[in-house]
Amino acid sequence: MNESATGSGAHLRQINRTDRLKAWSRHHRQLFRSTLITLLNQPGALLITWLVIGIALSLPILLSLALREISEADTRQVIQPAMSVYLSVPSESETAQALLKRLRASSAVGEVRLITEQAALAEFSSLAGFGDVLNAFSENPLPGIIEVVPRERDGAGIKLLAQQIAGQDGVDQVSFDAAWLERLSAILGILERVLYALGVLFSGAVILIIGNTLRLTIENQRGEIEITKLFGGSDSFVQRPFIYRGFWLGFGGALLAFFIIQSSLLYLSGPVERLAQSYRSNFALEALNFGESIGLFALGALLGILGSWVSVWRYLKQIQPK
Amino acid sequence: MLVFDHVSKRYPNGYDALSDVSFTVEAGAFVFLTGPSGAGKSTLLKMINGVERSSRGQVHVAGQNISRLPARKIPGLRQGIGVVFQNHQLLFDRRVYDNVALPLFIAGMKPAEIGRRVRAALSKVGLTGREGDWPETLSGGEQQRVGIARAVVHRPPILLADEPTGNLDPDLSREIMSLFLQFSQLGVTVLIATHDLELVESMPARRLQLQDGRIRAE
Repeated sequence: MNESATGSGAHLRQINRTDRLKAWSRHHRQLFRSTLITLLNQPGALLITWLVIGIALSLPILLSLALREISEADTRQVIQPAMSVYLSVPSESETAQALLKRLRASSAVGEVRLITEQAALAEFSSLAGFGDVLNAFSENPLPGIIEVVPRERDGAGIKLLAQQIAGQDGVDQVSFDAAWLERLSAILGILERVLYALGVLFSGAVILIIGNTLRLTIENQRGEIEITKLFGGSDSFVQRPFIYRGFWLGFGGALLAFFIIQSSLLYLSGPVERLAQSYRSNFALEALNFGESIGLFALGALLGILGSWVSVWRYLKQIQPK
Repeated sequence: MLVFDHVSKRYPNGYDALSDVSFTVEAGAFVFLTGPSGAGKSTLLKMINGVERSSRGQVHVAGQNISRLPARKIPGLRQGIGVVFQNHQLLFDRRVYDNVALPLFIAGMKPAEIGRRVRAALSKVGLTGREGDWPETLSGGEQQRVGIARAVVHRPPILLADEPTGNLDPDLSREIMSLFLQFSQLGVTVLIATHDLELVESMPARRLQLQDGRIRAE
């Protein structure tokens, strides 16, 4: 018996580390191509899987694009949260002029515009039907108004500014639509959370779809897997083709998601612009830029690999030659 | 090359497939494993390539105690063992070439080297030029020879065959057996499980006779 002479024995032969690394990278290169070719051999099934993944990826992304545009758009322009400061003193008075100066100097204030009593009267009487009402007064009943556009967009911040201004000399009262703004930012906050939840759910769905598709493939290839293991294919060797399949499924799905997103935006852009114009806003849905598109493809590929990994590994381990 | 040291195998359902089996096979030997079906021949072969584990006793393959081999080392063990099956277990959605190339592909060989080796193995079993055929277009004997080519293409030190002639007529069986004999003359340790006693007796080889999971005679 020459067991000691053969050293580590039934090992095929001593392969050095460099050769093993070369073989490993060769296997990866081969699989990168061959798994795609195998998938493309069943174009119908592949297209359906890609579409399902594409739709699942595009929904949360479309929503997040819309949300981003809403929160980034110039909300002041959209909803005009300018506050009206009604003066208790004549607008030519020193108190009013001092107030005007302070407001212009304040960092919390964007624009300031004085509407004098005469200007207010002129504007008011130009509105049909009010001319007669004003004639009933012997003198101008309207106060001077300072219109203030706050820099702050946040509802609570604007409210604070309004309270500050209301406490100043010469101010009768301050009016603005605070509730609207507060509600909007609250709604945006909720939408953002809903979106995160949706993103997680849809990503999970993509992982499950890919895992399930691959499980079916494995079931069809059970015989091949058993033979491969019987001839010394390791678990990771057997798993590798499925990782690449997962990659292609996710990547192709992301590619379809890209087209779904861009064409949806194109389809929506006309009506959205008209709506925005009615608010005198330049709000517009912007398409995915280059970086975001790359991010989308990477996300798809990553979910594919993840889906393959989590669902296939245990399953492949269970398949053993008999 | 192979040492069984008081090996027993009891399946989870309580069935004793092997009881206290001990024997030694030298490197390059040619050994028949005989006995009626259910005697434990297949189980014994499966313990050599780590498909089954012994319940008691030790199995040594090429100096390695495989009863204690961790799972991650099983692939390495199997890469050094060629296997031939009764139903040859070819992949029918792959051409002859890809079937034979499988062990080389697993070993990570270069494509050019794989081509050379596959053609050499096919010519050795008398199937030169058939690498592009689909297995289902081959006769039973040819399919079995493809299975043998696949089992020896990576030049394993050990060759296991489980009823390799089970479905073949006597002439073909003799042909296949003489192929195995040639491999053992090249230094390969060959272990063949069969119940074809007529064939066994016609060949100059050692016999291990199994019955009810025990070795009855040598």
